[in-house]
Amino acid sequence: MTELFSKYCFILGSRKQVNYLVYIRQNNGNCVNGLADRGILLKRWLKVYICVIFPFCGVSHLRNPFANPFARFVLKKAVFYGIVAFVAVTFVFFIPRLMPGNPIDRLIPRQTATPGVDWQKIRENMLSYYGFDRPLLEQYISFWGQILRGDLGITVTILPGKSVAEIVAWKLPFTLALALPILIISFLLGNWIGAKAAYMGGKLSDLIYFISVFSNRLPSFWLGMVLVYIFAVRLGIFPPYGWITAEIIPGWNFATFQSILWHYCLPFISLFIVYLGGWATGMRSMVVHEMDSGYVRYAEALGFRRKKVQSYTQRNAILPQFTGLNLYLSALIGETTVIEAVFGWPGVGDLMYRAVVSGPDYPLIFGSFLVIMVVVIFGNFLIDILYGLVDPRIRIGGRL
Amino acid sequence: MMGTVTGRRITMGAEKSYSRRIGGLWRQLLESRKFVFGFTIVMVISLLGIVGPFVTPDPLKYNWSERGLPPLTGGHLLGTTAPWGQDVFAQLCTGIRNSLFVGILSGSLGTLIAVLLGAIGAYKGGIIDEICNFVTNIVMVFPLYPALLILASAVGREGRSIFLVALLIALTSWPWAARTIRSQVLSLKEREFVNLARMSGMRSREIVVEEVLPNMLAYITMVFVLLAGGGMLAETGISLLGVGPLPQYNITLGSMLYNCMNNSVASWRNLWWWYIPPGIVLTLLLSAIFIMHAGMDEIFNPRLRRA
Repeated sequence: MTELFSKYCFILGSRKQVNYLVYIRQNNGNCVNGLADRGILLKRWLKVYICVIFPFCGVSHLRNPFANPFARFVLKKAVFYGIVAFVAVTFVFFIPRLMPGNPIDRLIPRQTATPGVDWQKIRENMLSYYGFDRPLLEQYISFWGQILRGDLGITVTILPGKSVAEIVAWKLPFTLALALPILIISFLLGNWIGAKAAYMGGKLSDLIYFISVFSNRLPSFWLGMVLVYIFAVRLGIFPPYGWITAEIIPGWNFATFQSILWHYCLPFISLFIVYLGGWATGMRSMVVHEMDSGYVRYAEALGFRRKKVQSYTQRNAILPQFTGLNLYLSALIGETTVIEAVFGWPGVGDLMYRAVVSGPDYPLIFGSFLVIMVVVIFGNFLIDILYGLVDPRIRIGGRL
Repeated sequence: MMGTVTGRRITMGAEKSYSRRIGGLWRQLLESRKFVFGFTIVMVISLLGIVGPFVTPDPLKYNWSERGLPPLTGGHLLGTTAPWGQDVFAQLCTGIRNSLFVGILSGSLGTLIAVLLGAIGAYKGGIIDEICNFVTNIVMVFPLYPALLILASAVGREGRSIFLVALLIALTSWPWAARTIRSQVLSLKEREFVNLARMSGMRSREIVVEEVLPNMLAYITMVFVLLAGGGMLAETGISLLGVGPLPQYNITLGSMLYNCMNNSVASWRNLWWWYIPPGIVLTLLLSAIFIMHAGMDEIFNPRLRRA
């Protein structure tokens, strides 16, 4: 067995590697030199590459790594979203600096009433801390340095002195827990309802269409207030505000989970209804449009089964819906901000709202905005890749 | 001017004058039941906003003896607000007026930006089109409410007037409209009458203004209507976040909701008459705008008319 193994190794690798493997076996499998171990791993990868990837894929992708149209598509999107991220950071940098008046002056006036404090000195300290007294270009470069190190500054009015990145990192899961399930479930269910309504035809279809249009026109935050009135104030089923009941000590137990889920229901429903209606409306008109096109008539004339034709139309109708997913993601993350403020759901949006209300806390507002932008950009990028996988025209690079 | 150019102009029988064209569109629109239905609702609500503030009492007037009255008591049609005893119906009328103002202003500015970026880019083509498209795509990624929150909070409390909020909404809400208009211009550009105009030696600015845009009028109206509705919704949203027009001086539909939520958590108490009406008005208005839009779409999109 050992012989066979070393023979195999000899075919695959150099004599040195075989020696090393023998050496490891002699040491009861303990690897002594970590660096050499890593070198061996690298070499093994090279072997795999030469023995497996090269025979099957050839060298075409070595000469041009992006000959594959899908890879080119992904690269293009990555560059675009990189530029968007750059624009977002630049936006956040220049907005407070281009506004009339010094942002520091808008940060401190709340505390000026305290006697016996030299506010001029504090103002100077803050100016030099935030670097407003340095030239703009230098500020911009150091701002980028901060961002890349993950340092978003410290808060001023809420929890003064705490780092923004820390606070936002604690709040972000709540926003994602609200936005992502709504996006995915409303996409699946809404498209299903829309397609069904389109095939149905007649009065019921019109009714479904009307309801979905109406629900999509509801302002989600107002719907939230109404739901609070009905379900929390009148019926007392759901709690109206916050994320956990005050009697529970938060921990990894069932009671905490149950309480959070209970608080989660109303914000979820109020956003979900609105977005469900949007998808259903879009899908219904897309399917109706597809049902009218030539290939469906032809398929029907050939006597295709109804299910088969429907699957074709659905596949074509879903593509524009996928491109809509990008817009819906941005809109949904935006509306989550307002919904969180209404329900006190402790996400990034609620944080921004508090930062605005308690005398504008600029580091916190801008830090939260950057994190929201990162989420939106990353989500958009994923959706674009998904679209590339779904749409065959992109997979093969537009050649039909 | 007209006399000198007329000689080299070849018309394809299309009506040239904007006013006659609008008249024609209008007559077409009145035939659509959907459009008339939506338009009627919008008009009724607008009338409430235009006439209401003149006949109702001062919406900001405090009345400590009449705090939190339910509807139809003490001569208040929709009751009064809780901490100050202001008349809700008067607030609603003023709120509709101000929100309509925000919607129309942000809608027209947004349409202007969208037409500029969409039409010019698509018509010129090449590098200009690339740039316009790129800018549109970048702005489209930004989520509306957080971006508005950033802009409005940087302006500071003092500067936040209704006018400025409408301007900020216009600056952030146009990208999808620019994309729609761009695709329309791209398809119009290839039509024969545009080619004829180009061959007859008209300058490109003239072609855009006199040949392409009149044919786009219907689409531009549709975009404007949707943008105006979206602007009103956006105003309500950012007012709720506390960065709308100052709620102490400006009554909008959004600031009514903001006062409900912040100054006397009305949604937790039984003060439903304070925050239900603004939302109903907003929903009705947005639904009516959508129905109007659907009616217009059926008329101007021959493909849909057949279905």
